[in-house]
Amino acid sequence: MLATKPLLIVAFIAYLLAAGLYLLHLRVRRPAVQRGAHLLVTTAFALQTLILGQRWWSAGYLPVTNLFATQFFFSWSLAAVYLYFEIRYRIGATGLFVIFLNLLLLSSAIPRDAALPPLIPALDTPLFTFHVVFSFIGYAFFAMAFSLGVLYLLQRRRGSALLPDLAQLRRLNEEAIFLGFLLFTLCMILGSLWAYVAWGYWFSWNIKGVWSFLVWLFYAGMCHAKFVRRWQGTGYAWLSIAGFGVVLFTYLGIGLLMSSNHPLE
Amino acid sequence: MIAILWRFCCSLKLAIVLASAATVTIMGGSLLLPGNPRLFGNLDALPLGEWLRSAGHQALGRTWWIYLAGLLMVLLGVNTACCFLDWLPRLRSRWRKGGEYLIHLGFVLLLAGYLWGSVAGSRSEGVRLDVGAMTAAPGLPGHYLRLEELAPMLVDGRPMGIAGRVALLRGEEPVARATVRPNHPLIYGDLVAFPASIGRSAVGIRFRVPGRGIAELTAGSRLDLADGRTLRILDFLPQAFPLPGGGFARGGDDLVDPAFRLALSGPEGNLWQGWYRLNDGVPAPLAQAGLLLQPVEPVYRLYGLFTINRDPGAPLALAGGIAMGIGALFALFSFYAKRARGDRPEIA
Repeated sequence: MLATKPLLIVAFIAYLLAAGLYLLHLRVRRPAVQRGAHLLVTTAFALQTLILGQRWWSAGYLPVTNLFATQFFFSWSLAAVYLYFEIRYRIGATGLFVIFLNLLLLSSAIPRDAALPPLIPALDTPLFTFHVVFSFIGYAFFAMAFSLGVLYLLQRRRGSALLPDLAQLRRLNEEAIFLGFLLFTLCMILGSLWAYVAWGYWFSWNIKGVWSFLVWLFYAGMCHAKFVRRWQGTGYAWLSIAGFGVVLFTYLGIGLLMSSNHPLE
Repeated sequence: MIAILWRFCCSLKLAIVLASAATVTIMGGSLLLPGNPRLFGNLDALPLGEWLRSAGHQALGRTWWIYLAGLLMVLLGVNTACCFLDWLPRLRSRWRKGGEYLIHLGFVLLLAGYLWGSVAGSRSEGVRLDVGAMTAAPGLPGHYLRLEELAPMLVDGRPMGIAGRVALLRGEEPVARATVRPNHPLIYGDLVAFPASIGRSAVGIRFRVPGRGIAELTAGSRLDLADGRTLRILDFLPQAFPLPGGGFARGGDDLVDPAFRLALSGPEGNLWQGWYRLNDGVPAPLAQAGLLLQPVEPVYRLYGLFTINRDPGAPLALAGGIAMGIGALFALFSFYAKRARGDRPEIA
């Protein structure tokens, strides 16, 4: 069995170097620098995938049942979403925020206990596994939308040649929101089914349940707002930023500031 | 006029206004939830309609936002339904948007299912069911739940769940039977039942009877003795509470001061009937009959505390969830095709 921590540290260093190269690429516009950064992110993601696969294999279930595991999985999801946009659109440094968020998550996860706890029967269902998978990948798309929203506002103010043009940023932002919303919809459906078989009701008024619904409703509204001229561009960028605030509060804020009976609290 | 009203009902901007208003209302209101556990703590223990009629109605100053959010969600549901109905006749030409509109349909069904369940559903927590015993299924007249088996599920030696076997009977006829464990409740129509916790209660005492070995005495059991005599156990009290006129009443479920009500009979008829309080020692008539009972250990029986909910809106909500799930998957896969075609809907 491969050791999780050393591999994770290597992945962290690779992400850190990639962020450095992307920043360098903003000053030195050389394709080799960008290729190097892309290679480092791909390598780090491959390492994380290896760790995830190995932990999944060892545990016999997708290990997302404690803070280390959820931070690690969220970090993996962020990298996956970043690579999706990088491979599809060559966004390069445009996704730097996502890499930084990834580094933040990993730096919080690495000191924590990586041991695989026994799976409690309440979490032993594929509904839970897919609920978590769709939830974190959805969150990752929303993080990417936040990054793109911030850059849209920056580009609008500065008109930098280092960033993609406004139309492209807007399109990418809309794509991130739409895909994130669809995945989060699947997460909510599976979560409701799970709640029904576990608690006997499919919508809970616990604070995490309510805010998860709010995340869904907010992004559902955003999926409509892109068709309203007034909300396109700048308005949409601000909404992306606000939406990620709601996501962060739902994922972290509730756990830190309030008590909830959600199984992962 | 009707066309204008219909366009208003289908309006995209109306959807955004309603969704935004509902989001802000619930966002603000939900922050009251953690700070008012006595008021909101049992929101999940009752269907919303019942909760609003009782606790919610008595504290309108802190619960008004639920009423407002409910109204906004209903209006949003109507708007979404109109939008879906408006799209339906154009299905052939706009089938590529089918995923998005299935999500609309799913949302409407989910909302309708929730409303229905909130008004007509029932929730019961902590329904005690002893192994081998039956109880009336709350909200389902003429139906009974029978607990056939129950055991804790151990993970690394620690109890982490409950497993058991439950039957649902209509009269005396079983209509459903399930092995219940975490995430596997008994589901029958709109009824869902599962053990939420497990406990054990003392139902008797195991005795050493000289010349006979070990005998388990519980309420309803009997001990056949020599010479055709019989000791019948009429009742068992784990916590005997002395009554002023003699005898005992049940003081509680904890095994504190146990007592039996016994009847000793022979071929000639009833020989003695009375109480045997363990702390007072074996009653004289039993001792004279040679029944020098020596207590060995308590006899426990497991029971489950069941959650039994009925939600008539659940099947509708399930249909909504399925529609929404299929819609999300369809929208996901059709997204790229639409992007390639440059298929963008009109801007409002």
